[in-house]
Amino acid sequence: MNYDTKSIVISTIAAVALFITPLEAFAAGSHGHGHASKTGEAGSASDVTSTIHITMGDNFYEPLDINVKEGETVRFIVKNTGDFVHEFNIATGEMHRAHAPEMMMMVEHGVLEPDRINWDAAKKMQASMGHGMHDEPNSVLLEPGKTGEIIWTFSNRAKLEFACNIPGHYESGMVGNIKLEH
Amino acid sequence: MKCFINTLTAIAFSFIILPAAHAEQLIYGVQIEQLEHRYSDNQSNVLAWDGDALIGTDELKFVLRSEGEFETKTDTLESMETQARLQKPISTFFDAVAGVRVDTPDGPDRVHGVLGVHGLAPQWFEIDADLFISKNPSFRFEAEYEALITNYWFLTPSIEFDLPFADDRDIGIGAWGPKLEIGARLSYDLIDRAVSPYVGVHYERVFGETNNLKEAEGEEGDGLYFVAGLKLMF
Amino acid sequence: MSYSRVCSGIVTGLVISMLSISSLQAGEYNLTVDPVTIDTGSFTRTGVGYNGASPGPVLRFKEGEDVTINVTNNLSESTSIHWHGLILPYQQDGVPGISFDGIAPGETFTYNFPIVQSGTYWFHSHTKFQEPDGAYGAIIINSKGREPYRYDREYVVQLTDAHPHSGHRIMRNLKMMPDYYNRQQRTISDFFKDSEKMGFEAALRDRLDWGDMRMLPNDIEDVQGFTSLMNGKSSSQNWTGIFKPGERVRLRFINSSAMTYFDIRIPGLKMTVVQADGNNVQPVPVDEFRIAVAETYDVIVHPEEDKAYTVFAESMGRTASVRGTLSTKDGMTADMPELREDPVLTMADMGMAHGDMAGMDHSQMGHAMPAEMDHSKMGHGAMPAPSHKMPDGAMMSGDAHAGHKMPAGMDHSKMGDGAMMADKSDPFYAPGSGLMPAAANGGKFLSYDDLKAQKPLYPDREATREIELRLTGNMERYIWSLNGIKFSEAEPIRLQYGERLRFKFVNETMMTHPMHLHGMWSILDTGKGKWDPVKHVVSVSPGTTAYMETEVDAPGQWAFHCHLSYHANSGMFRKVIVEGGPKAKAASNNMMQGG
Repeated sequence: MNYDTKSIVISTIAAVALFITPLEAFAAGSHGHGHASKTGEAGSASDVTSTIHITMGDNFYEPLDINVKEGETVRFIVKNTGDFVHEFNIATGEMHRAHAPEMMMMVEHGVLEPDRINWDAAKKMQASMGHGMHDEPNSVLLEPGKTGEIIWTFSNRAKLEFACNIPGHYESGMVGNIKLEH
Repeated sequence: MKCFINTLTAIAFSFIILPAAHAEQLIYGVQIEQLEHRYSDNQSNVLAWDGDALIGTDELKFVLRSEGEFETKTDTLESMETQARLQKPISTFFDAVAGVRVDTPDGPDRVHGVLGVHGLAPQWFEIDADLFISKNPSFRFEAEYEALITNYWFLTPSIEFDLPFADDRDIGIGAWGPKLEIGARLSYDLIDRAVSPYVGVHYERVFGETNNLKEAEGEEGDGLYFVAGLKLMF
Repeated sequence: MSYSRVCSGIVTGLVISMLSISSLQAGEYNLTVDPVTIDTGSFTRTGVGYNGASPGPVLRFKEGEDVTINVTNNLSESTSIHWHGLILPYQQDGVPGISFDGIAPGETFTYNFPIVQSGTYWFHSHTKFQEPDGAYGAIIINSKGREPYRYDREYVVQLTDAHPHSGHRIMRNLKMMPDYYNRQQRTISDFFKDSEKMGFEAALRDRLDWGDMRMLPNDIEDVQGFTSLMNGKSSSQNWTGIFKPGERVRLRFINSSAMTYFDIRIPGLKMTVVQADGNNVQPVPVDEFRIAVAETYDVIVHPEEDKAYTVFAESMGRTASVRGTLSTKDGMTADMPELREDPVLTMADMGMAHGDMAGMDHSQMGHAMPAEMDHSKMGHGAMPAPSHKMPDGAMMSGDAHAGHKMPAGMDHSKMGDGAMMADKSDPFYAPGSGLMPAAANGGKFLSYDDLKAQKPLYPDREATREIELRLTGNMERYIWSLNGIKFSEAEPIRLQYGERLRFKFVNETMMTHPMHLHGMWSILDTGKGKWDPVKHVVSVSPGTTAYMETEVDAPGQWAFHCHLSYHANSGMFRKVIVEGGPKAKAASNNMMQGG
């Protein structure tokens, strides 16, 4: 093979590899940074321009509607005032639906008990399945009484919701709307 | 005999009238198994019936049973039996029966005491076995099976076997000369279980001494009939 | 508008709102019990209704208020109203002979009690067969606090099995001929079909096995020939609930039937179960659920499309169905599904049910209880190998089944992939049961195992005593009983105020029985400890044992019975006397002594 053909082959392979990688990230579920570009990305504390307090209860959020400016970096302070474990997860509706079976698996493996997180079971699940507690920048999973924080930059236009994907919570109305102003 | 009847009636009614602390609903109804016309090409045409009226509770039922045959060619009431029976459960599927049977056909009347069992044998055979106690005692066994062609069409083969233990020449019965009746009836539930018309065949035959007596009278010992009738329950 | 006008307007407004606020604290309601005509579209009959109609009105109470309900009896016979699922003083419970003497014709009886709960409940006559004849209605109790789910609108969906025959006549017919209403029995052509499927010998042996016991494998619905109604309307009359696309709708399902369990689904819509028997449960998204007689289930649905959805209720024995419609405007309908195939009971459902009602002495039979559902002893999902006596008398234990030919009754091809071993089968049905629920779309079917209390009503503690109640019956005589004894021959069950009673229901029959204890909650043992669901009806499947616990905190005397109307009336009933308690002196009136 002469030099030109070789370079074409290599660049083709590279292009294909680059092309495939994001697809693989999507296929693996909502882990990895493949979806960061869809909904925004983890922000840095120095860029924060507003703070929004979210109260989580059984099974609700207050407030239910949030307005943010496109491109803005927002700090969310989330407090769980309920008696049950809840999640605050920023994503599109589609992503929430894809996320639900994973949360179901965590319940089935005993990681997610109704009113606490079973860290031992989480470790076991991590060992046997390769993932246990997900450690995502766009969500927090909180036990009753705990407070958590997310700093998020809304760098992309998308119809975003914040929701709890513990089985049954979304369906009970534990989902709110994020309205992006541009 | 009269005393016996009175006692039975008294027991029956006292049980029914007795105020129960938490009275369950009274059980009552009429079940007419056969109400049919029997056609035979040679001998006779017979209007036959066989039915029960019952009233009572889970623990004790009073049953009035009426059976008969009316020969239409000669306008003769060939047989008519009226039984007053008390039925009491003795096992999951069987009741014990005690009562009185009064026969009032054209001809001499007869009265018998009745002791027997009535119930459902394994494989869904409905059984009646009765001992008739009197000067002219006899034993009767009846069995019936209801085969479901569909949930509305039924084929019911039946058999009845009467064995007299003593002569009763006045009514043409010879000791140990049994009577056998075999039937097969095809019915259709027209209105719920309330009205079910049917057609079928009925064969009867007498044996032994009873047969001899019959033939002496110039009658045939057996007969095959085509039947058409109505089953009623309400 | 003049100043004085405005002023008086404001004053009037204030006065009116003050009045309504005060009546909110103490609601007064009036009900009449009337003879009514019920028209199902397929038949018309006279029955009993409330305020001139069947179903009766939807009563709306508020948690915390005191209610006064004046009930006027316009019938020519005595009547009563029982508030199903409500916690109240026993004299207000409405059971003649236990709570009070009933309401005489022409009389007005005034019920008065505080509302100490919230959720979906219902009310019905507790006299003779007035309830199957139409005397039922719904109760919605608004919650004091915030509910753990949100919705934009709600509908009551109340089901019944209206029959052309009166309840009295049905009972009389069942006593004369127990299979009077069963038109699902196996026929000669069924035998030929079975022969083809499993071979002549196996089919014959199957028939002989059932014939030996004189039992019918199709005896799922004692009373068939009814027209199911949804909110009083048949499928052709089509009850409709309107919604706007995107709204969350709360559907309050109530099964007010006399005898019929329904499997409920809404093709195209997932249902999230949020409440069972009036108590909130941790939400469970399902595709289909089975509602026993007298149970309630509240679900949230979220229809987003501008179209019609069919709310479909199919009887458990597949003899009847009813549909209603959820749509964006009146007059729209969606496809109505066909009835699925008749289920057939298997030998697994027979479990305990072979033998004499009068005297099954288990100690002499020498066999262990099959498939005991004692979840407190079992690990999640573990199933002790059932050991039971086969109809031919041979002793068999669960794993012994592995290496030999199954008796004809157990058709494993129907059971699905290793249903005996798989976790997917509902643990509240016998492994291999013919009644094992399956969602029509292959999705998730709700099980009792999925119900977890959202807010436990009592701290979890060990039971102080256990009572065993064998659910028994003689189908041939149509006598139903507990421990082989009919109500009319039984002693009352005596409980002590303050104890925690563990009830063990052993179903020795082939039917599913919804057991209902009045006045106190039934905490169903699903092995979840403090999260065990709090119910008022516990349905026990054939051939199974189920446990429920009750905190005995309601003095007085209460009814306890199978809620299948013709079973309750033929003996499957008990009076429960709670001895002791704070008002013990007041409660020891004539009634208790006479009990």
